[in-house]
Amino acid sequence: MAASDDDALQVLSGDDQDDGAYSSDFEEEEADSGEEEADLDEEEGDFDDEDEEDEDSDEEDGAADGNVEANDSANHEEIREALLDYIGNGNAGADGDEESDDREAADESDSSEDEAPPRNTVGEIPLEFYKDEEHIGYDRAGRKLKKQARKDQLDSFLDRSDDPKDWHKVYDEYNDEYVELTKEEMGMISRIRQGKLPHAEVDAYQPYVDWFDWDGKGHPLSNAPEPKRRFIPSKWEAKKVVKLVRALRKGWIKLDKPKEKPRFYLMWGDDLKVNEKTANGLAYIPAPKAKLPGHEESYNPPVEYIPSEEEINSYQLMYEEDRPKFIPKKFDSLRHVPAYAEFIKEIFERCLDLYLCPRTRKKRLNIDPDSLLPKLPKPKDLQPYPTTCFLEYKGHTGAVSSISADPTGEWLLSGSRDGTVRVWEVQTGRCKKVWDMGGSVFCVAWNPNPALPVVAIAVSNDVVLLDPEVGDEEVQLNIAKLLAVQPSTSEPTENTPLIGWKRHDKLRGIQLSHQQNVVRVSWHNKGDYFVSVSPDDILFTFIYLFSFFSVELNASKRNNRAVLVHQLSKQQSQNPFRKHHGRVADVLFHPARPFMFVATKMHVRVYNLAKQELSKKLITGLQEISSMALHSGGDNLILGSKGAKLCWFDMDLSVKPYKTIKNHKEDINAVAFHKSYPLFASCSDDLSTHVFHGMVYSDLMQNPLIVPLKILHGHQKGVSDIKFHPTQPWLFTAGADSVIKLFCN
Amino acid sequence: MDAGERQVQVRFTTRLGSDLRVEATAFSLPVHLNRYGLSQIINTLLALDGPRPFDFLFDGELIRTTLEQLYLSKNLSAESILVLEYILAVGPPELQSSQPEKDWVSAVNGVNPSLILSGSYDSFARAWFPDGTCGSVLKGHSDAITSIAVAGSSNDTDLDVITSSKDKTLRLWKVGSFDRVSIIVPLKPSSSTLSSVRIFKGHAASVQCVAANPSNTQVCSGSWDSTIKLWKIDSEDEDNEDEQALKKRKLDGAKQSIAQVTAFTTHKEHTQCVAALEWPEDRYIFSASWDHSFRQWDVETSINTLTMTCSKALHCLSVGGEGSLLVATGGADPVLRIWDTRMPGTVVPVLQLTSHTSWISSCKWHRQSPKHLLTSSYDGTVKMWDIRSKVPLQTVEAHKDKVLCTDWWREDTVVSGGADCEFKLFKYTPIEWL
Repeated sequence: MAASDDDALQVLSGDDQDDGAYSSDFEEEEADSGEEEADLDEEEGDFDDEDEEDEDSDEEDGAADGNVEANDSANHEEIREALLDYIGNGNAGADGDEESDDREAADESDSSEDEAPPRNTVGEIPLEFYKDEEHIGYDRAGRKLKKQARKDQLDSFLDRSDDPKDWHKVYDEYNDEYVELTKEEMGMISRIRQGKLPHAEVDAYQPYVDWFDWDGKGHPLSNAPEPKRRFIPSKWEAKKVVKLVRALRKGWIKLDKPKEKPRFYLMWGDDLKVNEKTANGLAYIPAPKAKLPGHEESYNPPVEYIPSEEEINSYQLMYEEDRPKFIPKKFDSLRHVPAYAEFIKEIFERCLDLYLCPRTRKKRLNIDPDSLLPKLPKPKDLQPYPTTCFLEYKGHTGAVSSISADPTGEWLLSGSRDGTVRVWEVQTGRCKKVWDMGGSVFCVAWNPNPALPVVAIAVSNDVVLLDPEVGDEEVQLNIAKLLAVQPSTSEPTENTPLIGWKRHDKLRGIQLSHQQNVVRVSWHNKGDYFVSVSPDDILFTFIYLFSFFSVELNASKRNNRAVLVHQLSKQQSQNPFRKHHGRVADVLFHPARPFMFVATKMHVRVYNLAKQELSKKLITGLQEISSMALHSGGDNLILGSKGAKLCWFDMDLSVKPYKTIKNHKEDINAVAFHKSYPLFASCSDDLSTHVFHGMVYSDLMQNPLIVPLKILHGHQKGVSDIKFHPTQPWLFTAGADSVIKLFCN
Repeated sequence: MDAGERQVQVRFTTRLGSDLRVEATAFSLPVHLNRYGLSQIINTLLALDGPRPFDFLFDGELIRTTLEQLYLSKNLSAESILVLEYILAVGPPELQSSQPEKDWVSAVNGVNPSLILSGSYDSFARAWFPDGTCGSVLKGHSDAITSIAVAGSSNDTDLDVITSSKDKTLRLWKVGSFDRVSIIVPLKPSSSTLSSVRIFKGHAASVQCVAANPSNTQVCSGSWDSTIKLWKIDSEDEDNEDEQALKKRKLDGAKQSIAQVTAFTTHKEHTQCVAALEWPEDRYIFSASWDHSFRQWDVETSINTLTMTCSKALHCLSVGGEGSLLVATGGADPVLRIWDTRMPGTVVPVLQLTSHTSWISSCKWHRQSPKHLLTSSYDGTVKMWDIRSKVPLQTVEAHKDKVLCTDWWREDTVVSGGADCEFKLFKYTPIEWL
């Protein structure tokens, strides 16, 4: 297209050069143009054939005149076209880009080029490349196109004067030929020169047809001048931008990163569609896959899969369900394999399984059971604690029922069912003293006050206070004074005292006769007060059954004496409780504060002795409390029960057990706390003693730490009592086998 | 000795006399040999009249394994020549005498070579003569004797014997060493009853141990009241004492007059029972306590100069070794621990000897040898140790019940008393302890 444009311009410029020559006679010739046009058409028709021949057999370089003529006519076509193009483009400039595009498309589809292709094929190159050559280029068959011999001025002048049509011939440099302009073309050129549209038939000033229906539509566009706000930058926009910028800076707005696609994905998605839910919200659970046949099911299985005769016979002894369904068998070839007898049955069962068995998804937690266990320190790191028995205290002939250690740790007191109480030297195991109490000893207790070595012994119905004779002279004098029965001063007043403090018949000491069997004695930490427990089983059940009847009066009167508090210095006894809510199992004093712990069958009641009121009731959840021990701090209590359970109470936490441990197989007989080491222990009828680490932290935020440490064995019969050594991490255990053992670290 | 067995090169050295010396050439010996085999070889090399047992030292340790195991445990090359030093081995002791007592024997003392002292739970102390006869009975305490100390050498006419007892007192006795001359025919124990000269009062609880200083002027005692008290034997303020005592005597009237002594210093740093004391030099005292520590005290300044802590309650202590720098302690476990006092603050003992099966009731270094130790235990045995070996040299099933006390007497004899109410003497073959 561009090339043809150029040609057109060339033509026009050529015209301009000869402007002076043409302008004079242009209008004269205009009238003739109609005739000439017809001639040209004829010529055109004639030369078309020749042109085709020329293309097929164009061997001669030297072209005949006729040939040139033909070429001329072809070029003439081209120029016409170029001119048309030019004019079209000129129009296009006014019409707009879209129109020009359309025209281009139309031109491309036009076949005029195919009809008369340019003779020369050199393309769009500067023509001076061929300036010094003898040819101007190549035709389509690759043959050289020879330059025409240049006519000199004279020849050309003569030609011009000879040829009347010469004045409307134009030289085409590209194809090196002269092109004759048609009359129409001439007309177009003249119209362009006059400043008119090139085509005479185009009416540029057609009457305007207003297709729009204006009635009642108002004006679509305003004629008003542009408002000022269109020209000044918007304040609100600026504010909005500032806001956004600030938000971006401070990170309020986060520009989403483009989502990364996962590198790997399931090519065919979830095959089983396990995660898809159906319309009714139920997940599809695929049926379990049937087991694929293995080596066993092969027609020629390896030898190790084929059961021997004995094995097959042994199947007969098995239960039907346990019997293998399929017995592997060997065949020589696949042809010999018979039809599978169970086939229909198996398929049927499989189908039954599939549609009769409801499938639900089991939500199984995949948790390592070990991780649920609390992280406890290793016992090795919690040393020292008693582990081995090094010493035995032998001498009792009956079951040892109770033991108690001297607060300094030098002596050990033990009472036995054989009616004796012994004092042992801890270090050597020598029996220092034997008292024959003349009755079964239930409980012994050494006064925890080291300055006042007195022992209290519960023998059948009595509590006996004795002097173990371990103190120095001064102490001995004190004790002798204390243990001398004072003549009761308040004798005549009111009724008889609760308990008579009498001189012991045989031994040098005081005897306190109770009405019932005394099962427990325990001292207050300061060593002046002690408490005795003498419950009455029969009477208690009696009250329990007929509590609403008149019998109650008589019975409760006796039951209320289960717990008696005695004062050694004044030799007085008092009954702090009017009534008990069950059989009293054990009573303890708080080591520092005026509290008393009374354990009945199921509960432990904490009484404030100063205010004389119930301060707390501990709900144990145990079957029957058998023993009780208090931490030296006084805030932690352990209970042993007949149900072989051990309870730890943290009084600061709640009235329910902090920990309940079921460690023994049989009834727990006694529990004990160490005074200074973080140790506690429990002993039971199952012959074992369990030692625990029981760390109580002074920090109230931290709960006590309980770690089981060691199970001590060695007794032949049940272990009836345990006590820790007051200063060493040693444990004394008393057994029903009449031996006391010392376990050391 | 079959030819196929591996052989090692061994060279023997010794510090024994020239008659027991073998030539210092290397012998090629089979690796399976143990101490007995080596001893046989030495015996054949020396061609002695009677067989004499030898012990072999390698690198300061007694050989208790075969040579092969020795090579393996010491990572020795099989080509290297093993240099073994041999010494005379300690043979098993012979029971020399066994004396029944009325009660458990709780204390023995064999410091004085001319007589042995024993204390018993029947509250009497007894002086025994070398032939196993009871010389005199020291009567006066009202409770079991826990410990006996002897002040004064054998040259003195009168030995000062101090006994401690569970009756919270100590008593001083003058035991005439010449008694030996007077008693040729064994007498009944009651016939030579001695009474105490002085009584040391002040402890508030049982006195567990007593020790006299080497210059025999002072004694110290440890008690269940966790104090250590120092007493003067011949107190200068005896006159004052006497006045008071006189008054007392007048008051007491018929009661026997005994001078009372009070302690001049009390150490209270221990928190529990002081179970053992030793006064190796005049300058300082060693004490062991149930509070898991043993301490050294400077006598002049009454300062606790050294504290070492063990993990168990301590029941006995003995100072000995080279330059008296090692302390052996036994306590509420079957391990005998040996500590080096030059390394204060160490937690781990230099040596832990385990062979007993129950508590160790007493331990005693040999008075001359820095290597030999004696321990008694509640498992009924008395063991002699050589600290160059972790295995006891000799074990004697001395008593049927707990052995409560043991001591050396005259270098080669061991005395022991136990809960089976026996007082026994064991004699080792005379050996060169050094």
